[in-house]
Amino acid sequence: MSATDKKNLQGNFKPQDAPQYADVLQCMRCGFCLPTCPTYALTGRERSNPRGRVALARAVAEEKLEFTPAVMEEAFFCLDCRACTTACPSGVRAGEVMEICRSQAHAFYPLGKVGKAFREFVLEKMVVSPDRLEKSMIPTRLYQRLGIQWLVRHLRVLKLGPDWMEKAEGMLPDLEKPLRPQLPDVVPAKGEKRGRVGFFLGCVMTLMYPNVSRNTVRVLAHQGFDVVTPKETKCCGAPHLSEGDRETARQLAQFNLDLFLAKDIDYIVTDCAGCGAALKEYEEMLEGRAEQDKLALFRSKIRDISEFLVEVGLRTEGLKEVRTSVTYHEPCHLCHAQGISKQPREIIRKIPGVELREMNESSWCCGSAATWGLKYSDDSKKVLDRKLDNVAATGADYLVTGNPGCHLQLAWGLREREMPQSVLHLIELLGRATPED
Amino acid sequence: MISKTAIDHLVEKLGNENVLHEKEDLLTLGYDSTPGVHHLPEVVVYPTSSEQLIAAMEIAQREGLPLTPRGSGTGLSGGSVPVRGGMVVTLTRMNRILEIDEENLTATAEAGVITLDLFNAVAEKGLFYPPDPGSQKISTLGGNVAENAGGLRGLKYGVTRDYVMQLKGVLPDRSLIATGGKSVKDVAGYGFKDLLVGSEGTLGIITEITVKLIPPPQDKRTILAYFNDVRTAGEAVSRIIAAKIIPSTMEIMDRATINCVEDYVKIGLPREMAALLLIEVDGHPAPVAEEADGVRRILEQVKAAEVHVAKDADHAASLAAARRTALSALARVSPTTLLEDATVPRSRLAETFGEIERLGGKYKLKVGTFGHAGDGNLHPTVLCDERDHDEMERAHAFYNELYEKVLAWGGTVSGEHGIGLAKKEYLARQVGPGGVQVMKRIKQAFDPEGILNPGKIFEEKDPGTKQHVEEGFRVSH
Ligand SMILES: Cc1cc2nc3c(=O)[nH]c(=O)nc-3n(C[C@H](O)[C@H](O)[C@H](O)COP(=O)(O)OP(=O)(O)OC[C@H]3O[C@@H](n4cnc5c(N)ncnc54)[C@H](O)[C@@H]3O)c2cc1C
Ligand code: SF4
Ligand code: SF4
Repeated sequence: MSATDKKNLQGNFKPQDAPQYADVLQCMRCGFCLPTCPTYALTGRERSNPRGRVALARAVAEEKLEFTPAVMEEAFFCLDCRACTTACPSGVRAGEVMEICRSQAHAFYPLGKVGKAFREFVLEKMVVSPDRLEKSMIPTRLYQRLGIQWLVRHLRVLKLGPDWMEKAEGMLPDLEKPLRPQLPDVVPAKGEKRGRVGFFLGCVMTLMYPNVSRNTVRVLAHQGFDVVTPKETKCCGAPHLSEGDRETARQLAQFNLDLFLAKDIDYIVTDCAGCGAALKEYEEMLEGRAEQDKLALFRSKIRDISEFLVEVGLRTEGLKEVRTSVTYHEPCHLCHAQGISKQPREIIRKIPGVELREMNESSWCCGSAATWGLKYSDDSKKVLDRKLDNVAATGADYLVTGNPGCHLQLAWGLREREMPQSVLHLIELLGRATPED
Repeated sequence: MISKTAIDHLVEKLGNENVLHEKEDLLTLGYDSTPGVHHLPEVVVYPTSSEQLIAAMEIAQREGLPLTPRGSGTGLSGGSVPVRGGMVVTLTRMNRILEIDEENLTATAEAGVITLDLFNAVAEKGLFYPPDPGSQKISTLGGNVAENAGGLRGLKYGVTRDYVMQLKGVLPDRSLIATGGKSVKDVAGYGFKDLLVGSEGTLGIITEITVKLIPPPQDKRTILAYFNDVRTAGEAVSRIIAAKIIPSTMEIMDRATINCVEDYVKIGLPREMAALLLIEVDGHPAPVAEEADGVRRILEQVKAAEVHVAKDADHAASLAAARRTALSALARVSPTTLLEDATVPRSRLAETFGEIERLGGKYKLKVGTFGHAGDGNLHPTVLCDERDHDEMERAHAFYNELYEKVLAWGGTVSGEHGIGLAKKEYLARQVGPGGVQVMKRIKQAFDPEGILNPGKIFEEKDPGTKQHVEEGFRVSH
């Protein structure tokens, strides 16, 4: 076979959304990713590490293996934490290859009737429209957040971890009213104006952490930016990508892209690491579907809040002292998916009175990873314990992070272990230092 | 096919989680870091004790399965690829550090302990285990011993062999062997220990290793030198050694490597330079300062384009870490990275670089070279595409011709990665038919039935083993 014949080998994959053959060939099997992979640390099994997972995908492409239930299992067992992407000197993205394999899973193992209806209801009706979510009852919100999909999949293949319902309920924070309806369309800048930003308010943030995002808007305004929050914003698509529903994710992406590009804004800022990572992937997701310069323009505007504040320079005059010590947990979707690691620390250090105490393995996953923590609750507990041991060793007052998934998992873990710390989003910490008017 | 009863037996002896036989597992345990070699085993076991290991070996023998030991699978000559199928014995679950003996300055660990974990554990006690292969975060001590791995500190501190004091393991007939000990001198009979070091898993399965430790150097200086052409860098290396300075590290990267590494680490390596040398001198503060000056003087004499000194320990560590990613980073460029391990007497370095450049041009190949320059150990790496048959042929010709020169200069075909599957024919050229004959007789003495890691180092006739070739799996070099 000549080189060109085999260039886009798909072999036993379905043609729609198959991993690129070149992407799996890129792995030279050096193993640099092995010590960073949480699932490998759990099982010690080669097929549950990035090198093994890429090898499985390659074997499917080369027709040495069918897309077997075990391949599907590995695709979903992968936390998609992207630690392997950071670790890989060759530029292989094993987590993304697995994400793509999740959509293959749906093509190969279609859901049963009940499951399908349920899934459609959650992923295609509820999650896509914040309005519906915000008006629905709490249990539905819970399902949305935790992605009821696992239940659906459970009907087919996966066994749900024990005690999942108990855990799910235990994790749920006290819910306030959703934030979105309360937010003005535009909040004007305070002090010397520095620009105008669009705020991408994520579904989980508006529903579960309204106080965080309220602070984000307040801080941005205090930093001299007009804050535009479009009410129509839809889900970023991250839950769909993570559950392997790439098609709905693309539709959502297209909608948000058009919505924000039509606004007069310099940047698009988010305070949810998961949303940020997904928004930055629109360019790739919509390749060939939207105009290249539109995609590039959109991409050039996306910033995580910490990335944004460091880039424009945090105005520290007038910040109040916050006497406390904190340690920082890096959300996977911030440090590994977006390469943002220094910025949150820089902001913490600039808040007067705050002492940053670094923990060991700050970039090791907390075990939440979207719905993973419910599917594999025993494993998730082990990953979480490792994290909490590292937190405990710092003796800090607060555990700071920047992603709702981590927030939920860490807060639950701290409560269960009766540890003295509580969790704060970085922006809540900065919010405490920012004077109310 | 392995029988169902045999699997049940293995599970009974080793526990369910320590026996893998699903196709997905077999597929991911039939490779190492060597490009183009892959073969499925029939079953993989993870013994957690010598007793379990022996039990598994017994079942393998009943089933007529050959055995292939495996560590973390970072080998670069195909050593842990089970080319005859059979049973892969992975030692990563025998991973306890058993003792750090501060009186005798030794550490004893099971074979599956990760190299860097041992380094860190002894460092906590103020001691130093020098061998540091680029793969130290992943590789096992057993794999290091079996390949006699070198590392970045080889120039001054030597290689794995220089630190092995005692080995325990199981021979193919399932007898236990313990060879060497904590005494610093030992000439009782043949040196089995030295035979096992570098035996690539063909003579025995190592289960426990006692290594020598030394006090860590008190001071260290890290120097980075850039060059406008590679040959000058080679000359600098030879001159530094000729000046009787022995740096702990003297690593080289050429332009292609610098650029790939910089793409990944983004620490400001000079993309436009033809080569850089990473030099480290360590020891007591006074001589360290003197040696660092000496190195700098020589670099100026040979007209290095720029000479920099690392700002602090963190900066120095990030430079060494960057160097360790060289091979994997080169893999960014092309789907296949064919790497070699040519080693020449250090005075020949500049010429070797010249030869690599010439041959790269002759065969129209993209080559990136890096390596342990101070050891004369270079890794010329051809960046190619295994799907392009013609290119692979040219790559083969490139290495053929290069090795001819290397051997003529008194070098070796493998400085540290071993022969394995990848370099069998080159070995025969280097040691001659007589040499291979003696090696085979040694192998015979340890493993008369040829059940341990068959098909490695040399072509043997192995009447005791069946050939299992999985359809669709290529075994090549
Ligand atoms: C990026 C990268 C950088 C590298 N840098 C270096 C370097 O600087 N220097 C260097 O020397 N090598 C280097 N290597 C090669 C490789 O890491 C070493 O050869 C290492 O020692 C292999 O260890 P492992 O545990 O991965 O062994 P494996 O690859 O699993 O096995 C290697 C060989 O050892 C045998 N073996 C493994 N364990 C045992 C045991 N317990 N008993 C008997 N036989 C056993 C196997 O059968 C096989 O023949 C590098 C590799 C990579 C991928
Ligand atoms: S994914 Fe990257 S780091 Fe992991 S084995 Fe492959 S090339 Fe190496
Ligand atoms: S994304 Fe995380 S869990 Fe998945 S393979 Fe990579 S390191 Fe492992």
